Amino acid sequence: MTAPSNPTLRLQYRQLYQNSLRYSLLGTCLTHRPALWNQVRKSHTAITADPVPLRKQLKDEARRKKAEKKASPKSSKTLDPRLSRWELTVGLEIHAELNTACKLFSPAATSLNAEPNSHVALFDAAFPGTQPQFQKATLIPALRAALAFGCEVQRKSSWDRKHYFYQDQPNGYQITQYYEPFARGGTLTLTQLDGIETSDCPEVTVGIKQIQLEQDTAKTILQPPSTYLLDFNRVGTPLIEIITLPQIHSPTTASACVRKIQSLLRAVDACVVGMEMGGLRCDVNVSVRERGTTAEGLSEYAGVKGLGTRTEIKNLSSFKAVENAILAERDRQIAVLESGGEIEGETRGWTIGQTETVRLRGKEGEVDYRYMPDPDLGPLIIGQDLVDHLKDTLPMLPDETAERVVNEYGISAKDARTLISLDDGDRLEYTEAVVETVMQRLASLPEKQSFDKVGKVVADWVLHELGGLLTTAGVPWETQTVTPERLADIIVHLQTNQITGNTAKKLLAHYASLQPVAEAAIPSVSKIIDTSGLRLVPLTEGEYIEMAQKVMAENPDMVKAVREKGQKGKIMWFVGQMMRRGEEGRVEAEKARSYVERLLEV
Amino acid sequence: MAIVLEIFFVSLSRSDLPGHSGGRDRDLTSASAQHFISKVKNVMLSARFCWRNASRSCQVYRKSHSISQQLNAIVHNGRPDPGKSADASGFLSGKTVAVKDNIVTKDLPTTAASKILTDYIPPFDATVVKLLQQHGAIISAKTNLDEFGMGSHSQHSHAGAVLSPFSKNGVPLSPGGSSGGSAVSVATGQCWAALGTDTGGSVRLPAAYTGIVGFKPSYGLLSRWGVIQYANSLDTVGILARSVADTKHLYGCINAYDQQDPTSLSATVRERLGRKGADAKRLRIGVPLEYNIDELSPVVRATYLRTLNALQNAGHTLQPVSLPTTQPALSAYYVLAPAEASSNLAKYDGIRYGYRTPGSDASAKNNLPLYASTRGEGFGEEVQRRILLGAYTLSSEAIDNYFIQAQKVRRLVQRDFDSVFAQQHPLLERQAEIPSDEGGVDVLLTPTAPTLPPTIKEVKQQSPVESYMNDVFTVPASLAGLPAISVPVRIIGREGDGLEETDVHDVGMQLIGQFGDDELVLQAAEVVVQ
Repeated sequence: MTAPSNPTLRLQYRQLYQNSLRYSLLGTCLTHRPALWNQVRKSHTAITADPVPLRKQLKDEARRKKAEKKASPKSSKTLDPRLSRWELTVGLEIHAELNTACKLFSPAATSLNAEPNSHVALFDAAFPGTQPQFQKATLIPALRAALAFGCEVQRKSSWDRKHYFYQDQPNGYQITQYYEPFARGGTLTLTQLDGIETSDCPEVTVGIKQIQLEQDTAKTILQPPSTYLLDFNRVGTPLIEIITLPQIHSPTTASACVRKIQSLLRAVDACVVGMEMGGLRCDVNVSVRERGTTAEGLSEYAGVKGLGTRTEIKNLSSFKAVENAILAERDRQIAVLESGGEIEGETRGWTIGQTETVRLRGKEGEVDYRYMPDPDLGPLIIGQDLVDHLKDTLPMLPDETAERVVNEYGISAKDARTLISLDDGDRLEYTEAVVETVMQRLASLPEKQSFDKVGKVVADWVLHELGGLLTTAGVPWETQTVTPERLADIIVHLQTNQITGNTAKKLLAHYASLQPVAEAAIPSVSKIIDTSGLRLVPLTEGEYIEMAQKVMAENPDMVKAVREKGQKGKIMWFVGQMMRRGEEGRVEAEKARSYVERLLEV
Repeated sequence: MAIVLEIFFVSLSRSDLPGHSGGRDRDLTSASAQHFISKVKNVMLSARFCWRNASRSCQVYRKSHSISQQLNAIVHNGRPDPGKSADASGFLSGKTVAVKDNIVTKDLPTTAASKILTDYIPPFDATVVKLLQQHGAIISAKTNLDEFGMGSHSQHSHAGAVLSPFSKNGVPLSPGGSSGGSAVSVATGQCWAALGTDTGGSVRLPAAYTGIVGFKPSYGLLSRWGVIQYANSLDTVGILARSVADTKHLYGCINAYDQQDPTSLSATVRERLGRKGADAKRLRIGVPLEYNIDELSPVVRATYLRTLNALQNAGHTLQPVSLPTTQPALSAYYVLAPAEASSNLAKYDGIRYGYRTPGSDASAKNNLPLYASTRGEGFGEEVQRRILLGAYTLSSEAIDNYFIQAQKVRRLVQRDFDSVFAQQHPLLERQAEIPSDEGGVDVLLTPTAPTLPPTIKEVKQQSPVESYMNDVFTVPASLAGLPAISVPVRIIGREGDGLEETDVHDVGMQLIGQFGDDELVLQAAEVVVQ
């Protein structure tokens, strides 16, 4: 039923798209009265929220930051003394697009950048007489997400209609799971490595209240100055809404939490489009209370007692926005309370580059969503067998992977996290490929080789050497040209003392700087070593001793310092001198050191 | 409130879908039901008040009158050429079937008699329309109706009121509604049979008022894909024909599972429905005491009694039964149907199809919310009234007192019926196996409406609440999703004193059966007609 398969329908959708041009007059109004349309808005992306182009916003922000830095040289990390009196509490609501082939209630394909209105089923465009057809396959990523957070999957859940008028909502309501969500009661543990606030270390656990399935809305595309075009491709795309308990007490931890939720969802293949592409959107609930107060007279949410009155900030579309918006709202609430005022339960907005949240609507302006069970849709019954199967086949979660990598490679937990988080896991795969090749090569050598540190050595090379080169050159990971085999080759040569570390680094830099050409055209590592004479021809004992004696003779003061004053640290100075004098790559530091030590009689 | 609702929905969710049972709600006493009825009346009045205020800013709702079609039963004529899909060997080959204009057809405009769907040509055919064509039927016309099916007299139509072929003192009678156009088309021989939709009696009432047969099958048997929603949990495609045999014939052709309709009963469920070898030779006929109301007109009462006597004389058994929730059922209906309507009609915003107001529709100068002008101009009076009513009963302040109470009443109505039928409800979990001859009945026989059709003049004088009273006998079967049929019974002898030649000659009698017992209901209908 998707448009492309049917020429007549396709025509229909073209008309549809052009029809939306008629909407231009509404656009005029929206530009003049943003508050009006925000009243009925549940979620919108930055591009619809503000007619200022994103690039301009980012530029403005950069400029503002620069000015700010000049004005206040003080580090932003200095602790605000008011925080010893007031405690911040934050709860998150995260909307994430599920990684599915089709929409939640129609067989139309989901798409990211397809031609506008090319993936719209009749039901998606709310043609009279059409009905929702639940697509079972959309459950799989949703269930994986629920399992990743340790939620209890509900055997029975149901569908409700949430009503509000807005042009991106063709049916006039969103189908969601208001009364009975499909998953409840999970947790998420964050550690120092996830980038939480120091005061939250070593770890903090955030409860997941529930996860519900729901439909996404259409995209509104602004055609300046005042035309809004509607693209219904996104209408009905399955979303999950993850609602956390208000158990977060710092802006940094809140943004770390969103980041971790995104990485978990990615790890289990539930959601693959990140925040930067609008695949994940976040609302935050923020309240402040005086430390040491009792629960009496304070608010309660989902069993968490003693909370101050909360405000909700809608539609945050980056991790930084989450952190900054909470920070700004916390400070605003504290300022209000300290001046004897009261916090009003209201909805507020945040724009990139601002320093304060903006009131969108108060309680009295709240939309009554008139939730009603959808009469066309029966309850959703999820069998335990499906849940068990998905549980058994759930991919390893990032924390578990990190643990494995730490154990197998002996690298630090921090490096492990970095490897895992970089390039969608591609960096880790690369590392593993290099490790495997190095191990194979070493094992095939006649002499026995030590395998202990291979993992750590390779990880260091991938992260720091290769990573450093790419960063300096500004080359993104996807386009870098050093194959795992090549790096393995270099490392094997280094490990078997055929080249020095210095040479190895130069070789890597050489390969990294190559333009992408046919693999066969690239000379092999050993070929370069041979043709450029880089192979380590060890100095003989006599050559080492001769060189060491020469250096000692030229620097009697240093010799004295070591021999008479016992300044052993100076030994390395001699080694350094020898390295410098020796032919490129031939002087091995360890050997040089042993000769220097012998001659200096230490 | 959210917590209360959650508890409620744990025990009662899906109670709006017949066949999904929970059943732990014994707390609704008749006293609270009475209280509930009065509250519903109040909210109807206040909704009307709201509408009056709103209507001042709306354009006058103009009715156009076609002189060529004096009865105004048809809004679009079908194409004379049956087209390539017509199959000469089909079961319905060459038969003309009119289709109510809230069932979509891609060859003909579909407006649901609403200005908001002006010139709308759907991009697809409803499943029932496809099935008709597959069996060789000719879609002869799209018939007039109450806008979106909301009405009992087919007077609230953007295409103008439908007139009955019958009249009294020269004033046309009500053809009944909302499938009035379909009923009049069949009654006047403009087509062989017609499709209608029945949400609270919209097929049975016009059939009764025009002297033909009107059948509403069990909910979930006929596909609703392509049926423009009024109240999904109640909407049912129905059949209007001049005889029970024709009705059966047509019904057999369109009764099929449709995967595009999520409420369509699957093949496995269909196998469990009805009884094997249903036999209407010795019927146990239930006579509900609650249907013997004061408002029953003498001629309806007399015909009803004569029919009952004749059936008894023919060897069938009569059994008085009690359906105590009959009265609150009407109130529950007028809470639930508008609630669903307010939701279903939210899609009409003028952006993608249909009528749109000229100029901006988020006009800051009038301080109106989004789409207010389009919707204010596009919907008629009755539709606006029901949207307001529904929006109110779903609002967070009112949902507990109206929508949820009404759902409970609906459950009680269903239980009432289950307690009188010999046949178990096939979709409910069986309690202890009850022997089928332990006092249960096969079908219920009631009048379809308390009176003969009023004149359209009388209809105009009725308040909305009074006009809703017409549905008191048809609504309970809709709430329970049961099969029900209205058949014409001749008025004879002194019963018809005071009737003119131009007046109706039949009274509609309604048979109601257990869920899925459609075959037996149709057989019993043959018996009653004889």
